[in-house]
Amino acid sequence: MKKTGIVFFPAFDWSLGETHPEREERLLYTQEQIFEEGVMDLPQIKQYSPAVADLRDVLRTQALFPNPDRHDLDAHLIAVGCSLVLGKALMAKEITNGFVLVRPPGHHSGTVVWGNRGFCTLNNEAILVNYLRTYYGLKKIAIVDTDVHHGDGTQDIFYYDPNVLCISIHQDGRTLYPGTGFCEEKGGPNSWGSIVNIPLPPGIGDEGFLYALEKWAMPAVREFKPDIIINSAGQDNHFTDPLASMNVTARGYGKITEMISPDLAVLEGGYSIQGALPYVNLAILLALAGEDYSGVIESQKMKRRVLGGEEVRAYIDKLHEYYKQIEPRWRYAQRQEWRLPAGNWVIRERDIYYDTEGIREQRYDLIRECRQCGGTVFISTSNLNTGEKAVLVKIPFEACPACEQAGYDLAEQYKKSAPTLLLQNQLHNRISFWENGKEVNLFATHN
Amino acid sequence: MKIGIDVGGTYTDAVLIDSGQVRQTGKVPTKQDRLLDTVLEALDSLDIGAKAFPREKVENIPVSTTLVTNAILQNRLSAVELILLPGSGMKLDSLAWPVPYRVLGGELDYRGRRVADLDSHEMQQLAEILKEKFLQAKQQGEKALAVVSGKFAHRNYILEQQLAAYLRKEIPDLTVALGSEWGQTNFFRRSLTAYLNLATRDLFSDFRDKLTKAVRARGLNAPIKILKADGGMQQAENIRPVESVYSGPVASLLGVLAQSQPEESYIVVDVGGTTTDIGLVLSGRPLLSSKGAHIGNFLTNVPSLAVRSVAVGGDSVILSAAGKQTTSEGEENINIEENINIEENINISLADYRLGPAYCLGGNNPTTTDALRYLGLIDFGDYIRAEEAMALLLPEDMREIPRLRNVAQKVLNLMVEKIALTIEALIKQWKEEPAYKIWQVLNPQHDYIFPIKLSGGGAGGIAEALGQRMNTTAGLAKHSMVVNAIGAAMARPTFSWTLNLDTNLRRYRIEETGEQGEWRGSLRPHREVEQFLKDLASKQAKKMGLDESQLETEPFDYFPLIEGYLTVGQIVRGRVHLPPGAFQLQNSGLPA
Repeated sequence: MKKTGIVFFPAFDWSLGETHPEREERLLYTQEQIFEEGVMDLPQIKQYSPAVADLRDVLRTQALFPNPDRHDLDAHLIAVGCSLVLGKALMAKEITNGFVLVRPPGHHSGTVVWGNRGFCTLNNEAILVNYLRTYYGLKKIAIVDTDVHHGDGTQDIFYYDPNVLCISIHQDGRTLYPGTGFCEEKGGPNSWGSIVNIPLPPGIGDEGFLYALEKWAMPAVREFKPDIIINSAGQDNHFTDPLASMNVTARGYGKITEMISPDLAVLEGGYSIQGALPYVNLAILLALAGEDYSGVIESQKMKRRVLGGEEVRAYIDKLHEYYKQIEPRWRYAQRQEWRLPAGNWVIRERDIYYDTEGIREQRYDLIRECRQCGGTVFISTSNLNTGEKAVLVKIPFEACPACEQAGYDLAEQYKKSAPTLLLQNQLHNRISFWENGKEVNLFATHN
Repeated sequence: MKIGIDVGGTYTDAVLIDSGQVRQTGKVPTKQDRLLDTVLEALDSLDIGAKAFPREKVENIPVSTTLVTNAILQNRLSAVELILLPGSGMKLDSLAWPVPYRVLGGELDYRGRRVADLDSHEMQQLAEILKEKFLQAKQQGEKALAVVSGKFAHRNYILEQQLAAYLRKEIPDLTVALGSEWGQTNFFRRSLTAYLNLATRDLFSDFRDKLTKAVRARGLNAPIKILKADGGMQQAENIRPVESVYSGPVASLLGVLAQSQPEESYIVVDVGGTTTDIGLVLSGRPLLSSKGAHIGNFLTNVPSLAVRSVAVGGDSVILSAAGKQTTSEGEENINIEENINIEENINISLADYRLGPAYCLGGNNPTTTDALRYLGLIDFGDYIRAEEAMALLLPEDMREIPRLRNVAQKVLNLMVEKIALTIEALIKQWKEEPAYKIWQVLNPQHDYIFPIKLSGGGAGGIAEALGQRMNTTAGLAKHSMVVNAIGAAMARPTFSWTLNLDTNLRRYRIEETGEQGEWRGSLRPHREVEQFLKDLASKQAKKMGLDESQLETEPFDYFPLIEGYLTVGQIVRGRVHLPPGAFQLQNSGLPA
C-alpha cells in the first residue's frame, strides 16, 4: 500500500512574539481540522514523531555567524529535524510521499544566517536536500516553492549549484516581500538555468497558478530529471491571505499538490490562520494521500475578483518566452584583491535585509568558474549593524579536485585573518570552523 | 474486604481480599454464551459467609467482563440509526464506516462556529423515514435508537441538540444519543463510540440488573463495579457500557501493579490460554494509548491502556507438518519465525487457537504447556504425557530423546519470539508517541531496559528464556494464577476532566461528558481558568465518590487569539485527572 508520512509539529509553546504572525495559534486550527476529520485514521497515513536536528546537518548547508551559540535555535532545529525524519522514511521506502507540517518555516533563510529573516532562521528544505545528498547519494533534486513569497533563502543556498533545480512561483516581487524572485535570477556561472523564478501578477487564482505550473514549472522539472521533488508548500496564495492577493482556493492547493506530485512537501508560510490554513493543509494532505479533496470548502467565501482566462495565459506565456532569452552577464573578481587561488572567479555583490531583526548584511559571493563541477564558492559577509565580519568557503558536492584544492587554499588563506571562517566541505562531509584564528570544535557541546 | 472477578477467554477467576491480603481464590471455566452464570459460579467458588468472611464486610464487588467486547466482536448489537452531520471536508467514504449512516446538512467550523444551519425540510424527511422504520422495528420488539453525530460537535453541541430535540418531539419513544457526549476528537471515532455505546446499552443493563439481583440474593449488598478499558473502576450503574471493553488485559496489568513498588517501571506479560497480553508500566503508571480502543471493525475514542495482545498462550496447539516450508512473502515479521525446521522435513509451528487443555493435563493435543513441562520449566501436568505429546509431533522413526527435546526447545523459542516481538512493538509505539511542544521533543524518552513481570498459568516456564531474549530480568508475579482477579479487585477509580475554553466565543466544554457552558470570566484568564477547571472537576469527582485531593492537574496550554494586532481572547486547554492505578496488596513485590 502507498503510504503518506506526516510529521505534525505545531510548536504549541513557541512564538516570535505575542502578536507576531508566527505564534502558538498558527497551526492550532489545522490540528483541529485534520484530527477531527479523522485523517490520522486513514490506513495509508503514517504519523511520525518529531526529532531534533544535529547542528552538523545545519552547518553543512548554512553558515550561522558569528557562531551558532548566538542564535536561538530550539524550535528551528525541531522543524529541521522533522524534515529529516520524513526524508529518512522516504529513503527507507516506508512512505511513498510525505508532508512535513511544521513551524517555524525556513525558505527565507539563506546561505549565511546573521539572524531571523521572514520568520525563518534555518532552511528546512535546503538542509534536508543536502542531508539526502550526503547520506543517500542523491544526485539531482528539484524544489518547487509554491509559497506566495519568493523562496529567496532556498534560491540563495542553491544559486551556484547545478544539481538542485529551484523553481519558485510567487506573487511578483514588485508588489510583495521580499522584493526579489525575478526572471533574471537564473543561477551562477556553473548553474545558469537551475534557478527558475515565475513571478505572477496578483489575483490570478487557481486557473492562472495551475497554468504556470503546467506549462512552465513542471516541464522544467521533467527536463531536469530529478531523483526527488520537494514542494515548499506555503499557503499564502489563498484568497483569505491578509498580505498577498493570489486568490487560490484550498481545492486549488489540492490540484497544485497533485500536479507537482512531490515526494515531500514542507510547510512554509501562510498566516491566514483561520481562513486558509485548516483547509489548505487538509487539501494538501488529502491530495498526497490520494484521497478526494473536492469536499474541502472554506467557511469564508471569496470576495476578491479573480483575473483569468486568455489574458493571464498570454501574460504567463510571454514571461516564459522572456525567461528563455535572458543571457548572463558576469563580472570577474580581481584575484589579487581577494587573494584567490587559480581560476576565473565571478563576483556578485549582495545586500540582504533581515526584516525580523532589522539586520543589514553586505555580502560578496565569489564563484570559481568550472566546467567539471558546481565550483567552489567563497563568501565574505558583514553584519552592518554590529560590524561583525565572517567568511564562508563552500566546496560543493561532487567537487572536482581543482575546486576542492581551491577551497582548502582559501580556508588556509583566510583562517588567520577572518574573525570567523566556516569551511563546508560538502564533497567529503566535513565542517570546520575557525574563530579568531583558532579552530573550534562546534559539535562537542551540541551533540 | 473485596471480591474481584475476572472473566477470561478460557477461565474466570475470583479472589477474596481482606486487609490487603489474598484470602481465597477460585477458578471456573468460562462459558462465553452464559457470562452471567459464569460470574456467579466464580463468585460461588469463594467461601463467602464463612465465619472469617462475613457477607456484610464485603465492601466492593468489582468485575472485569468480556460481555461488551464479545457482543461487538460477534455483532450482537441493538439496531441503531446513525445520523451524521459531516459538513464539508474529507469525504465520509474515505474512512471505512462499519455501519450504515444517514447524512444531513448543517455545518460547524473548527471552533464550533456555525457555518450552515440544519435544513428543516431535510429534518422533516428524516423524521418521516425514521417513524416508518421504527414502527416496523417495534413490531419485531426492537427499540427506537438513534445517534446524532456532527463534525466539530466536540466544540459545540448546538446542531446535534437541535436535531435530537426535533426527533424526540416527532418520535416520542425514540432514544437519541449524541456524539458530543464523547467529546474528544475525531468525528469518525466519536460517532462510532456513541453508536456502540447505545447499541450495547440494553445488553449491558440486562446483565447488570440480573447480576445485581443474583448477588443481592446471596446476601451481598456491596456495590458492583465494572473495570474499564483505561484501568479505572466504576459503579455498574454509572458506567457507559462501551467503556468496559478490553478490561481483561487491563486486569492483569493492574494485578501486577498491586504487587509492585509504587515507582517501578516494568513490562507485564500475562500468558493466557490462547493469547498473551503485554502492557507497560512507567514509574508506577500504566501507559495509556494515545488513540482510543480499536474493537473489531470499530475505531473508538474509548480511553484505553496501551496493551497489546499476541495469539500465543499455554493452550496454543503445536502443529507439525512434513514437507517444505510455505512461509509466503510479505508476511508480518511477527510470523516469519513461526516455522522452524527441526529436521529437514518437519516444520513446527504454533496455532492461534486451542483445542482444550494441554495433553499433559488430560487434553488430546500437544500444546506449548506440554513443551514447557517436558523441558522441566513448569512442574504441573503429567511428565510422561508431555513426553508423549512431543513424540506425537514426530514420525515414529524419529522419536529419540534428543529430537523430542529439540522439538520442545523450538516450541519454547517460537513462543518467546512471538512475545518478544510484541514487547518490542509496544516499546517502539511508546517511544514514537507524537509530540506537539518543544519541551516534549527536547526531553525525549530514554532507552530504558525494563524488567519483565509474568503472570498466568504456564508463564513461569518462559521467564528465563524471555529474559535472555530481551536482555533483562524476568520473573513470575505472586498469585500469578489469579492475577487478573486481583487486578479487578484492586483497581482504583480513574477520572479525567478536560477543558476546552474559547474566551473569544465565551464558551467552554468538558470533553469527557460533553458538558458545555458560557464563560463569564476574562478574555485572557490565567490562574482564574485553572481554578475554574479545578472547581468543576472537584464537583464532578465528589459526585462520583472520588477523593478530590488526589486529582492531578496537567500543564495548561494557552493560545492567544489575535485579530490584526489585537488580542481578542484565548483558547485554553487544560486537564485534571486521576491516572489509572491499583491499591497495594500487603507484602507486595516479586518472590525472592
